Amino acid sequence: MNDQSRVTLTIDGTPITVPKGTTLYQAAKRSGIEIPIFCYHDRMPPLGACRMCLVKVEKMAKLQTSCTLEALEGMVVDTTTPEVKSGQEAILEFLLINHPLDCPICDKGGECPLQDQTFKFGPGRSRFVEAKRDFAKPVSLGPVLVLDRERCILCWRCVRFGEIVAGDDALKGFERGFHSEINTPFTLPVRSKFIGNTIGICPVGALTAKSYRFIARPWDNQPVQSTCTLCGVGCAVEFDVRGGKITRTRPYEDPAVNDVWLCDLGFFGHTFVHHEGRLRRPLVRREGGFAETTWDDALALIASRLERSSGPRVAMLGGARLTNEDGYVATRFFRSVVRTPHLDHRVDALARGPDLRMSWGMTTAIEDLARADCLLLVGCDITETYPVIWLRMKQAVDRGAALITVGTRSLEIKPSVRWQFLHRRTHGAEVMRALGESVRGSPPRGTVEDIDREVIAAAAAALGAASRPVVMVGREAMDAPDGWEILLAAGEICRKIGVALNVMRGKGNAYGASLAGILPDAAPGGRPLEEAAAELRNLWGEVNEGSGMTAPEIIEAAAAGGLDVLYVAGADPANDVPDRERWRAARARVPFVVVHDAFLSETAQSADVVLPALVAAEKDGTVLSIEGRVRRVRAAAQGPGEARADGTIFAALAARLGKTMGYSSWEEIFNEMRELIPGLALDGRMVSRHPPMDAAPDMGRAWIQDAQGYPFALILGDVLFDRGALMARSPTIADLAGEPWALIHPDDAATLGTVEGDSVVLSSRRGSVAVRARFSASIRPGEVYLPRGYDAAPANRLVDAREPLTYVQVRVLVPATT
Amino acid sequence: MGARRVRKYLRQGFAMLKGMAVTFRYLFRPPITVMYPEQKRPAVQPRFKGRHWLTLYEDTMERCVGCELCVIVCPSQAIYVKAAENTPEHQVSKGERYAEDFQINELRCIFCGLCEEACPTGAIVLGREYELAGYTRESMIYTKPMLTEPYPGASGRDPKREV
Ligand code: SF4
Ligand code: SF4
Ligand code: SF4
Ligand code: SF4
Ligand code: FES
Repeated sequence: MNDQSRVTLTIDGTPITVPKGTTLYQAAKRSGIEIPIFCYHDRMPPLGACRMCLVKVEKMAKLQTSCTLEALEGMVVDTTTPEVKSGQEAILEFLLINHPLDCPICDKGGECPLQDQTFKFGPGRSRFVEAKRDFAKPVSLGPVLVLDRERCILCWRCVRFGEIVAGDDALKGFERGFHSEINTPFTLPVRSKFIGNTIGICPVGALTAKSYRFIARPWDNQPVQSTCTLCGVGCAVEFDVRGGKITRTRPYEDPAVNDVWLCDLGFFGHTFVHHEGRLRRPLVRREGGFAETTWDDALALIASRLERSSGPRVAMLGGARLTNEDGYVATRFFRSVVRTPHLDHRVDALARGPDLRMSWGMTTAIEDLARADCLLLVGCDITETYPVIWLRMKQAVDRGAALITVGTRSLEIKPSVRWQFLHRRTHGAEVMRALGESVRGSPPRGTVEDIDREVIAAAAAALGAASRPVVMVGREAMDAPDGWEILLAAGEICRKIGVALNVMRGKGNAYGASLAGILPDAAPGGRPLEEAAAELRNLWGEVNEGSGMTAPEIIEAAAAGGLDVLYVAGADPANDVPDRERWRAARARVPFVVVHDAFLSETAQSADVVLPALVAAEKDGTVLSIEGRVRRVRAAAQGPGEARADGTIFAALAARLGKTMGYSSWEEIFNEMRELIPGLALDGRMVSRHPPMDAAPDMGRAWIQDAQGYPFALILGDVLFDRGALMARSPTIADLAGEPWALIHPDDAATLGTVEGDSVVLSSRRGSVAVRARFSASIRPGEVYLPRGYDAAPANRLVDAREPLTYVQVRVLVPATT
Repeated sequence: MGARRVRKYLRQGFAMLKGMAVTFRYLFRPPITVMYPEQKRPAVQPRFKGRHWLTLYEDTMERCVGCELCVIVCPSQAIYVKAAENTPEHQVSKGERYAEDFQINELRCIFCGLCEEACPTGAIVLGREYELAGYTRESMIYTKPMLTEPYPGASGRDPKREV
């Protein structure tokens, strides 16, 4: 036991050996001794603010805070002596002096550390008769939080969460002593993507959720462990269910993925599940509108239309909202029952972009990001697309990793970025090539996009010298006019530094849809079709193992009158396809469109048959996360009305078409998938292999077009909080998203004469959308940033997908009312 | 016949007589059977636990704040409470929270009184009424309008009392 890296001490008479640097609190916890705490949280360094964790250490004059004191060799610690007991009682008595003790109306009641600690360690009776601190309450801190300052015990956990974990400094402490309070800077609504976490870590009921206000007590809730499917990260969640309804979502600890955190989309984005607008019965188009009908009638109608058309004149779009199992059944249905090879979940991809030729997802494990020493983000707005991944990257940055971003905009994580290279929408490849040339090469002189090449060389040197570098490419880079070249340059950098590229693309269960085989050119598991054909025939009977059309090709084929039936499941192509005009053209020429959806989405509104589908929180099965991890989803609620799972619908249709696809449970489907897909296992990781990229197709320079009268280049991006078909029906998220907006550079705004908050119209040659103007110097003058995902201002109305770049003009519609 | 057996018969005979003496004695006392429901006893004991009431403050504000402590303490899971938030236009109770829905299944209730004991505001009380019967099970699930006392003090509790 003379190991220098370990120390031995005695706690409550029991000797214990711990690694050097362990705090007394941690050492006690390891040996099963409970010390009450408030301010300490094991994901943040100790602070020593609340004094709740007092212990007696032999030879030390006063009681010591065990959360801050390091365990040393030979220490003798006592946690139960009368002295400690009276210390704990005194601290609790002090904390309760100003506490309103309104537990009966407090949402924390029943799961409150202050209640529990007082019950266990407190004096049981107060001697304080004077008036308590009096604050106005409750205070709204934006769409998410409700603050009760009287209950706050000033432990600083919430403030430090913003400083240390999320890096967004959303909450701050103000005033001193008796008047101390938590609030937002300038008392504006909270600006954070992670503030929901503070509700869980607040040890009292000072911070509570608006959406959960008085909804349930802990003892009403039945927790169901599942996975969040709202973005690709696949965070482990626990749905609390009361009376068949999800009352709230909480993180479930998963050290490999989300640790103990979630983002606000995960916390508050699942409310749409119980929205009264959910589809309950099948709808069939009759003259002038939809009529509700029975499943029998709807299925008979679809089956007759499918029977009448030959396989390849049927195509399927969508799949990112299905579970792996539903996706697999869909693949089997279309490839072997309908016998068409035209199925693709990548509805939102551009025909010309590189992303249709690559497999999406991360090669780096999320867990390993925290240990990266250099991170390169190319056109990847990580907090807007895969927020919880940022929390890991932040850990790496705090440990000294260099964060380099290349893109058109300055990101929200800017304070953590060491090198930020901004470029015009059309010039990303040049910056990337310059960066690539300098990695293990000699830096040429001069500038690229006004960036001194020496600075680029410095960043490149950090990349080249890193032992655990990570390179991520996002959708914005892939959709750029020179997307191919950016990807090639990124691939070149990866080759030089010996890492694999992370393709940060895809929403929901897009990875699971690929795994399940909802792709025109691959069998389940991404296997080549020829290779898997024999096995498929063995399992499914007849199979169309040909190579089909990609999503953009399906749209074009439909617009050219080449399809009889278009089948849409778990997608909203009207809003998702890059170019709405093409969708309209396609829709107009396809005689029969079937849609599975939870709501009457834009696409569903123009369908011939709409079938009510269950959503992920109502199904059992698995999904695949962006890092290829197989995650379980569990049914937390029952679907509304007669809604069914997509897989069940396909099986019923197959039966009507004279084929049997009898699966009795998700396990049966999963096991069949395992036969086809080597390496597939629950909680296993399926790392996507990116096919080597050859030369980019020559796009020419045609995109430097004549933009007479349309002075602004349009940049589109995905945002975490939007108002699409689902999130518009999750009230907290809809509030966070606000009205549709666009970013304009302040200089341009001055020229245009707009004021922040003005209602402006963006018009391209194609169409126009009305949005609120927001000003920000995070973009360049001459460019306008428009978020996707707002159904009221669909970005795809502006885009002509044949043109590599969209130019718009901005007109003030209604001046902001002040 | 041995002496031991004689003693045993005597003991048994004596015990029988003793019992019959009690019966005999009561034969000459007036009966105490009440011809319920034609006849009723004047009042139950003060601490009798009967039907529940949700009591009001003097100003007709509801005492219940929807805290659900009665729900968790109830050994027979007879109570259902769903809380909601007071607004200035719709102020039902004092404070921020009130019970939007309150139901007690009187068939499940064992009239233990733990709910009354747990209630932090003295809202829920067990009254004196013991005539609880119904033709259906549903009718025995008392809803909030049935439970709320019609006017402050109607349940027999002082609306001004402090808890
Ligand atoms: S609001 Fe909660 S977490 Fe924040 S300082 Fe107060 S008690 Fe601590
Ligand atoms: S990061 Fe993604 S998976 Fe995780 S909680 Fe947020 S939306 Fe859900
Ligand atoms: S009296 Fe006892 S059993 Fe009846 S509702 Fe109250 S706590 Fe439950
Ligand atoms: S009756 Fe009392 S214990 Fe029950 S919810 Fe109302 S206030 Fe709480
Ligand atoms: S927990 Fe140790 S001082 Fe707060």
